[in-house]
Amino acid sequence: MIIEPHNTQGDLNLSADVVVVGSGAGGSTVAATLAQAGLDVIVLEEGGYFKTEDYGADIPAMMGRMMRGGGSTVLMGRSPVPYLEGKCVGGSTVINGGMCWRTPDKVLHEWGTERGLTELSSRHLEPYFERVEETINARHQDPGSEGRCNDVFKSGADKLGWRLSLNKRNQIHCVGSNDCVTGCPSGAKQSTLYSWLPRFFQSGGRLYTRMKVKKIQTSRGHAVGVSGTLDDPYEPRRFSVSARAVVLSCGAVQTPLLLQRNKLCKPCGHVGKHFTIHPNVKMAALFDDPIDSMRGTHQAWQCTEFVDEGILLAPGAIPTAFMSAIFPTFGETLADQMINSRHIATGGVLVDDHAEGQIKTLPFGLPYVRYDVTDVDQEKFIKAASLLATLYFEAGAREVYTAFHHWPVLKTPDDIKKMKDAAPSVESTEYFTAHIMGTCRMSARATDGVVDTNGESWDVPGLYIADASVLPGTIGVNPQVTIMALSLMIAQRLSNALLKG
Amino acid sequence: MSSNFRLSGYQRRIARTVVDAMVPRWTNFGRELTPDVLDGVENMIRNYPAFVRFGIRLMLLFVEFGGPLTLTGIVPLSFLSRRKVTIRLERLSNHRFATVRNVPKFLKILVCFNAYSRQDVEAYLGADRRIWRKQRVEFRDRLVQLDESRDRPPTPHALGTYGTVSTESYLDENRRGAATLNEQRADS
Repeated sequence: MIIEPHNTQGDLNLSADVVVVGSGAGGSTVAATLAQAGLDVIVLEEGGYFKTEDYGADIPAMMGRMMRGGGSTVLMGRSPVPYLEGKCVGGSTVINGGMCWRTPDKVLHEWGTERGLTELSSRHLEPYFERVEETINARHQDPGSEGRCNDVFKSGADKLGWRLSLNKRNQIHCVGSNDCVTGCPSGAKQSTLYSWLPRFFQSGGRLYTRMKVKKIQTSRGHAVGVSGTLDDPYEPRRFSVSARAVVLSCGAVQTPLLLQRNKLCKPCGHVGKHFTIHPNVKMAALFDDPIDSMRGTHQAWQCTEFVDEGILLAPGAIPTAFMSAIFPTFGETLADQMINSRHIATGGVLVDDHAEGQIKTLPFGLPYVRYDVTDVDQEKFIKAASLLATLYFEAGAREVYTAFHHWPVLKTPDDIKKMKDAAPSVESTEYFTAHIMGTCRMSARATDGVVDTNGESWDVPGLYIADASVLPGTIGVNPQVTIMALSLMIAQRLSNALLKG
Repeated sequence: MSSNFRLSGYQRRIARTVVDAMVPRWTNFGRELTPDVLDGVENMIRNYPAFVRFGIRLMLLFVEFGGPLTLTGIVPLSFLSRRKVTIRLERLSNHRFATVRNVPKFLKILVCFNAYSRQDVEAYLGADRRIWRKQRVEFRDRLVQLDESRDRPPTPHALGTYGTVSTESYLDENRRGAATLNEQRADS
């Protein structure tokens, strides 16, 4: 049952076995799993509830309704990195591209050997991955739905003999409307609104919208509930929820901020630290034949040829408005370039980063999120951009547009070498990210992280975290399946503990 | 949550100047976008957090008085002709300091999101998303109905194997006849 502010009156005093803060990839998975186990669960979501019919084509309006800060969120650093975060029922699963990749074995092995997280081995996580993929309908696209933007990418990679992996996406009959980022208009994307949350509601779960959690209540050091304010336009209202366990699933930025504002988990010293972002840069290529990015899926393939070097190349079809932001020009010059927009394919390179960012709470509760791309990672970016440019030229591109300020256009393959030799700096590169993770990392020892392998805080018993913030490190692939698998594991362990005791 | 944010008269004048220089113009497009895009930008800013809105006010003042940084004189931006405004904004966009470059870049994104997501602009560029979305929603509804009526496993097998719709016609509206024919064959 979804309960919106207008469905209730006055201040709310609620109680449940478990209160889950957030309804994205982590929160919905936890909520559904606990409710299906027979526990009384309340989910609190800060954003509103938008149904498929509500997803309009007006990009600025949809960003304002469904994204945190209206889509204005930026990581500060040597070069500012914009990122998007869903703020609605379903969280970022409503606005993501829907890519479904398991955590690579290599990464899980590394977590086991270097961090002692042996419970996160491929073998242990296999049943969780399986259940997640089944629940969210992770599958390949319908043949023919990929679109030309993906086709030219594949053609370039095939000519070069580079390895391609066909994406699985959480979708049923994705018909290539390519508006993933403002909510799938056809209902094909199986966000948590279509996967975990229906199961949650079926099991009697309650989800309250527009509830901003401000305080995590504790008693004798144990988390016993949360309180905050309702976003009711007519009157100031408050709520409190008491529960046997509190699960934070607010995402990798909001979860550490909430902990910091409550001065919780301070002793471990890791809250808001160590985060990685999979920074990526966007590129575009002009072709003689129409590409029609609008028609097709956002991303059907990934080129995994260079994945051992921490480089992933991928197409990324985007609407015209987003495409216009890739070019460094404006006004009439941009208008002249955009005349050819039907002939432009867009893509990006993603780098497995080794820098670590930090989240701080400034006076008045203002968030400060800082991430500096390192020179080592920048070398990877230059190499990755060169590879993608090579791929596009091989596919027949007339020009390739880069995210490097001093090298906006590559007119011939010879320009690639010149660009590489020029070694564009971090400051002159435009990055973007959608994968922030690791701000409250899971660890085998209390001194190394914020939560244990049950997702429970090392410092505050009864306080659990299940979202991208618990990822122990960078994973090199789109993280939603990893987030859901870990959240599922945490939820099953939590339900076992609560039902026993 | 959306606020009651409004740009002051002076800030709106600067914003209008920036928008006017950044909106697309094509000779046979026949529509002046500045007023609508300016309203759209203001609406967009309204959804931003207070500290970002404050930052945008500062950015407007920065470009207004950024002449000395670009060696384009000391006349405020909003008093210049569109050609001179463009020159100043281009110089700011190419300034040697990244922080300076980021100011017009951010403003440009606000303008572009509002200008290039308009239906008339998308249609002019041959990418009318609203029509495409509508077609796609109807198309998917038909696929889902076919799945339900046949009690067959969903994608990808339902398509290629059972001839619900051919790979070639999946994204091609001009070939809907072919798709319909396939459906009829499959139904019969």
